[in-house]
Amino acid sequence: MSTRYGMVIDLDRCTGCGACMVACAAENNVPPLPQATSRTGLTPMLVRRVSNGMEGQARREVFIPILCMHCEHETPCVSVCPQQAVELDKGTGIVMQMPQRCLGCRYCMTACPYHARYFNWWDPAWPQGMEKSLNPGVAVRMRGVVEKCNLCHARLHSAKEKAAAAGKREIDPADYVPACVEACPTAAIQFGNLADKDDPVSREAHSPDAFRFLERIGTEPKVYYKSGEAWVRALKGSVSEVEVKRG
Amino acid sequence: MASTVLTDRRWIERGAERASLPQFLLWLAPWVVVLAVGIYAGGLCLYYGLNQTNMDNRFAFGLWIFFDLSIIALGAGAFFTGFLVYLLKRTDLRPILNTAVVVGFICYSGAVAILMIDVGQPLRAWFTFWYPNTHSMLTEITFCITCYLLVLSIEYLPILLRNRQLRKLPSFLVFEHQLHKLMPVLAGVGAFLSFFHQGSLGGLYGVLRGRPFAFRQGFFLWPSTFFLFILSAIASGPSFLILVTAAAEKVAGKRLVPREVFQRLAFISGALLGIYVIAKAIDTLIWLNITSPSLGFAPWQFYIYRPFGTSLLFVEIVLFGLIPALLLTYRRTAARRGWLLTAAGLACAGVVLNRFRLTVQTLALPTLAFDPFLQYTPSWQEVASFAGVIAYGVIVYSLSYRYLPLFVQLKGDRSHVSVD
Amino acid sequence: MFPWTDGFRWTVNHIVFLSLFFAVVLTIVTTVVSAARRAAHDLHRHSAADICWKSDFAELPVSERRCRHELAGRIVSRTCDNAFDCRHCSKYSELAVLPAAGTARDLAVNYSKDRFYHRGHTWVEPQEDGTLAIGLDELAEHLIGNPDSIAMPELGSEIELNGSAWRMKKNGKEIQVRAPIEGKVMAIGSPKDGWYIKIRPRLDPHDPATLRHLLRGPEVHGWLGRELERLQLQLRTPNTAPSLADGGVLIDGVMDAMAEADWDTVLEGTFLEG
Repeated sequence: MSTRYGMVIDLDRCTGCGACMVACAAENNVPPLPQATSRTGLTPMLVRRVSNGMEGQARREVFIPILCMHCEHETPCVSVCPQQAVELDKGTGIVMQMPQRCLGCRYCMTACPYHARYFNWWDPAWPQGMEKSLNPGVAVRMRGVVEKCNLCHARLHSAKEKAAAAGKREIDPADYVPACVEACPTAAIQFGNLADKDDPVSREAHSPDAFRFLERIGTEPKVYYKSGEAWVRALKGSVSEVEVKRG
Repeated sequence: MASTVLTDRRWIERGAERASLPQFLLWLAPWVVVLAVGIYAGGLCLYYGLNQTNMDNRFAFGLWIFFDLSIIALGAGAFFTGFLVYLLKRTDLRPILNTAVVVGFICYSGAVAILMIDVGQPLRAWFTFWYPNTHSMLTEITFCITCYLLVLSIEYLPILLRNRQLRKLPSFLVFEHQLHKLMPVLAGVGAFLSFFHQGSLGGLYGVLRGRPFAFRQGFFLWPSTFFLFILSAIASGPSFLILVTAAAEKVAGKRLVPREVFQRLAFISGALLGIYVIAKAIDTLIWLNITSPSLGFAPWQFYIYRPFGTSLLFVEIVLFGLIPALLLTYRRTAARRGWLLTAAGLACAGVVLNRFRLTVQTLALPTLAFDPFLQYTPSWQEVASFAGVIAYGVIVYSLSYRYLPLFVQLKGDRSHVSVD
Repeated sequence: MFPWTDGFRWTVNHIVFLSLFFAVVLTIVTTVVSAARRAAHDLHRHSAADICWKSDFAELPVSERRCRHELAGRIVSRTCDNAFDCRHCSKYSELAVLPAAGTARDLAVNYSKDRFYHRGHTWVEPQEDGTLAIGLDELAEHLIGNPDSIAMPELGSEIELNGSAWRMKKNGKEIQVRAPIEGKVMAIGSPKDGWYIKIRPRLDPHDPATLRHLLRGPEVHGWLGRELERLQLQLRTPNTAPSLADGGVLIDGVMDAMAEADWDTVLEGTFLEG
């Protein structure tokens, strides 16, 4: 039975605290980039704030963590990369980016419907002393290459090494938890194996309140979202299917 | 007429009238300045990184990609003229062949130069050849454009070797002669490569599922934009040649090609443009009514943002498509200089607008329900590099016109004597 | 490339794509290499001079490509389309039998009725021992005057028709004199001898077809007349209207006498350089 790592993010629990963004940046050695703007920043995990467009008592807002959806079917970024610097790992379902092979043509960024890819517009630089906080398990990227969430693949690697050292063939699921999942204070982000019917995440993904963004495009994303609010679920459609004010 | 002032007469064809060297240098000077500024701007981007531009994570493609697509479409005149002359035996177009090759060479070398600055890691460009992704349109484009630039350089070589002084070396002249005999092969290869990469440039956008504004249904492997791009390129290529030659005639102050050549090019351009307009209209209707709604995007939604209203669609298909097609094919208007140049200009503008809409408008439009409509203005470094490449083109063309036999002289018949 | 990359599989896509790519690259490389090899081959054989000449001929203006029969007055007007190669001209036999015009006008230079003239201003004179003497005609000699230096070919070397026979230098200008006929250099002369080289021709000197491409008799008269007109136009003072004076004799040493004229153009037109 194959493994298909995915997520279910409960939007009713997300408080917009941003701990997932910070944890992601720390885990993946994302540089501080003080000169970046909201459109040139590096945020493999990005929490968006969306409202229902109304004012006063009727106003509702929701925080939506956006990350790479790890599309399963005809993955847009995989099919367009001219040098196969990104591939859908058959064994895990993770869409893996190889920054050392990336040319920086940014075609994948145009192809991604979820805008989940980010370009290194600057050379990475850390204030003096801060380099001590870098994660040794994750390579730092150079400028001019694209990067994105890869479901903390380094942690999967460590989990595999630990299992191999103990002589086991399967990893212990508790050993492989992406940084954002670990950091979320309300456990809004759930992570698991969507192909395993017994996995609670897999069950959650099939609940009636679960949805995925832009399903009609047909990319089969593996990041599900869940909400009891109908107006939030309606956000899954395209911009023409939903009349909503930008937040 | 002997001259004691600065002169380069020995490099210019005997009997050819050219401006004096000081006058020529005066003409070149402003273009050299623009080129220098462009090189400086490009150098800044290479040294400091792409943060020197105004591109960002949402506008990953900007002015440069728009420029690349437009210039490659306009440079299609090179392969198409070669195809017509060598493979379809349209010898009446021979007078324009040399200038078409030079224009093509300038367009493609300029595009490649800009691409080298545009990518984040130019030194990794060879990775595409080592790890090619056969599903990606961009791989196909990379391979084809590299090969085609090589073909254009080889086609340019004989013209270069016919310079008055260079031809005095017997090995050059003999090599040029042998290369010239094999030109039909290169013209065929060039046509083959061009067909594929012009189409793939269209395919680049047509396959983007995530951008329903650009996404199109296809035939077999290729979305309809593949064929539309080829059509629009071969329709505008001859028009661009007309414009360039007319500009050269204006600057040189004399007629350079027989009138009939302009008429033929105009008719070919107009006819192809007419076919393109029909194909595009059909494609647009299919996209509006079938493709886009099937992905969950109501097409009218794309046109509610200023300045990208539905009037843009009208401008592209009618004003810059149907009207020049009619003007160019109708003999009366094509024969009058003013109408001819206007129509050719409109045709080229149509292709440029089409490329603009697919590069910039595609990225400006929102996809997710909570995406905003985005704006983008290029930075001075982007504009300067753009201008620098245009200056490079003018300089190379001016040098080629001055020192190389670009145009068969009208005064005498200089057709090649056959050597069999 | 990728057969040894982890996880690689050959698909139809790969095969089609790569075979097309390599086919294209192979075609381009083969074309260039083939052209280069043929060129090298030509340079070793005698055909290089022929190719260069045909290319240079194509670059001549129409006014300098008049058919010899037009110059002789046999026909009103004809442009040569065969690089002056009367030996292999399909029209030669039908045009040669037409009556030639007379030689009424006086010329400013002399020519010999026994010699055969080449359009590059050299003459050929058959010798008793079967060799051919080659010299410079009076128009060319008077133009140049005393050359500063002459570079002759080596004894025993081969010269090609329309290729380089010998080179001269005058006032910093280099002149390449075209060979009027192909053959092996048997003797070297000088301006004082009246001839420059003697060659053993490759073709039979007694066969009339061997010297068919050279001008003789009344043709030379018409040709020299045209050449003198061309010189008068090219050597006139700048910014004056062209005028064609009649009578008079070409002085010896025009290059010294009119040093400020556009000698590049004059010499290239005289010695048929492109």
